[in-house]
Amino acid sequence: LAHSFIKDRSKASGLPMKSKKASSFHEFARSTSDAWDIGDDEDEDFSSSSSSSLQTLNSKVAKATAAQVLENHSKLRVKPERVWSLLEEACVRSPLQKQQSLPLRPVIPLVARISDQNASGAPPMTVREKTRLEKFRQLLSSHNTDLDELRKCSWPGVPREVRPVTWRLLSGYLPANSERRKLTLQRKREEYFGFIQQYYDSRNEEHHQDTYRQIHIDIPRTNPLIPLFQQPLVQEIFERILFIWAIRHPASGYVQGINDLVTPFFVVFLSEHVEEDVENFDVTNLSQDVLRSIEADSFWCMSKLLDGIQDNYTFAQPGIQKKVKALEELVSRIDEQVHNHFRKYEVEYLQFAFRWMNNLLMRELPLRCTIRLWDTYQSEPEGFSHFHLYVCAAFLIKWRKEILDEEDFQGLLMLLQNLPTIHWGNEEIGLLLAEAYRLKYMFADAPNHYRR
Amino acid sequence: MGSAEEDYNFVFKVVLIGDSGVGKTNLLSRFTRNEFNHDSRTTIGVEFSTRTILVGDAMVKAQIWDTAGLERYRAITSAYYRGAVGALVVFDITKHQTYDVVDRWLKELYDHAEASIVVMLVGNKTDLAQAREVPMEEAKMFADNKGLLFVETSALDSTNVEEAFKTILKEIFYKVQKQKQRSSQSNTVSLASESPASTAPAQAERRPCCVAL
Repeated sequence: LAHSFIKDRSKASGLPMKSKKASSFHEFARSTSDAWDIGDDEDEDFSSSSSSSLQTLNSKVAKATAAQVLENHSKLRVKPERVWSLLEEACVRSPLQKQQSLPLRPVIPLVARISDQNASGAPPMTVREKTRLEKFRQLLSSHNTDLDELRKCSWPGVPREVRPVTWRLLSGYLPANSERRKLTLQRKREEYFGFIQQYYDSRNEEHHQDTYRQIHIDIPRTNPLIPLFQQPLVQEIFERILFIWAIRHPASGYVQGINDLVTPFFVVFLSEHVEEDVENFDVTNLSQDVLRSIEADSFWCMSKLLDGIQDNYTFAQPGIQKKVKALEELVSRIDEQVHNHFRKYEVEYLQFAFRWMNNLLMRELPLRCTIRLWDTYQSEPEGFSHFHLYVCAAFLIKWRKEILDEEDFQGLLMLLQNLPTIHWGNEEIGLLLAEAYRLKYMFADAPNHYRR
Repeated sequence: MGSAEEDYNFVFKVVLIGDSGVGKTNLLSRFTRNEFNHDSRTTIGVEFSTRTILVGDAMVKAQIWDTAGLERYRAITSAYYRGAVGALVVFDITKHQTYDVVDRWLKELYDHAEASIVVMLVGNKTDLAQAREVPMEEAKMFADNKGLLFVETSALDSTNVEEAFKTILKEIFYKVQKQKQRSSQSNTVSLASESPASTAPAQAERRPCCVAL
């Protein structure tokens, strides 16, 4: 199976068509036994009414925003690159060279300085940012939030202060109509805890044992370096979310990687109630009610996300296989040199990009960057399922110099599985997204462009 | 430029397989970096590390592939068996069910790898002896019956980890030697000794998988 996938390059003809994807997934969803989920959203007009305007919004808005981001960052560009090469030598080169000299590997600093959004030292809040925040507040408090406008504003990043509510809206969990929000939240939260009551005890029954056991093994290993996630209460929340999602989606069930996807939602919704450092926060300081709402909201938003990428996790993970193949095809067109370099040293894209797709780059980036990335993914039509591909391509090309410097298979693989992004912040992600947008714009509308 | 500076005569690809949570990643990190991590994250897809050791008078570069233990990944990880000349099938001595599924892992291995692949059964976590669920004799007998090497290890306290990898690498090495003697035309064996690896790393490494046993 997998063999033929890798070898079968001849058939790779162009990139996945963005318009087709959603519908074919719908077909897929209907054909699986997950159908008892369908109907959940019938009373939420969000997804159907706005999806048509999304496409038009996207090309205009995102293009402008991307251009702006590029421009804004072009001046800053020199600095981060400098830091890179230094860090690289410290963090990546030396372990590569000294595989055998024993305990010399540098300790990686905390992956997630969650609250530390300005990793590269930008000023706290500029006038422009204040205006942006004001704009968000306006949009969010209006009687009927203009979701197109909200997406447009969110594409270049959502201010921390309004991120929780913005994410709830963008994911389609919260209705645009502000009068309906309170009731919807209440109903959905009750619904979630209804599932818990009804199904959670079944985790010890034979047919669900394996699922629960795997989740139980994986939770402590999900964000092992962040104290927040070592707290029993938090781990229990994650277990419940994942177990309920898994048994409600038997076509995929629980697959490693899905556990990571809860984290950004949980952290963002928690941040609403925490003034200080989220990553060290003790959740026993929160009321039962607050914790329950964080849990339910995380569940629903994660479910919305997964609805769009469920074929990543069904049998043999066809979504991932397709996307890795598409990445290869794309890279072969935008950077032949890198592509040929991989071929020369027999590096297969699946060997590194599987994880990029399966965990949406969460393993390659600090958590703060993932959160920023998701601002944009939730503002893009099919952000997680389609735009992510272009982000991966941009991410790969970002390291082209380092890649071309490696002249053997092991060096390349070691580089690709330990890319030095530890110091990355909003600036780097902004640049990455702008480049991804440029690629998408170039290729989505002209799949034969640059065809070899 | 990383490993290109090392000299070595052989590259052996070895895969680590076994159920989720048995300690594959820590066996790898103990062997290649002398590290143990209580908090290692789940392995997604495949991860990779190398270490070069002296076997007899030859430098052998072990290219070790750590695969995810979750069943769902198997369709994809099967691609990683290609070219493997050794496999460590790992179970957790404190969890009987991880031993019960060894047969399934072996089947998958033989379905995808060369029949001549050298296989070692590894019972990990001997530091948790008080919680042992799989008697050593039972596992040893199972391994003997199947013609597998066998060892019990603790990645945590380092017991037998070096030995495990060195034993399997030696075994592979001897197989290669024997095969070389059998056919004087050793064009299937990837030998880098005539051209030092530092000057032509690609040549030696391009075919890590071509040591046909």
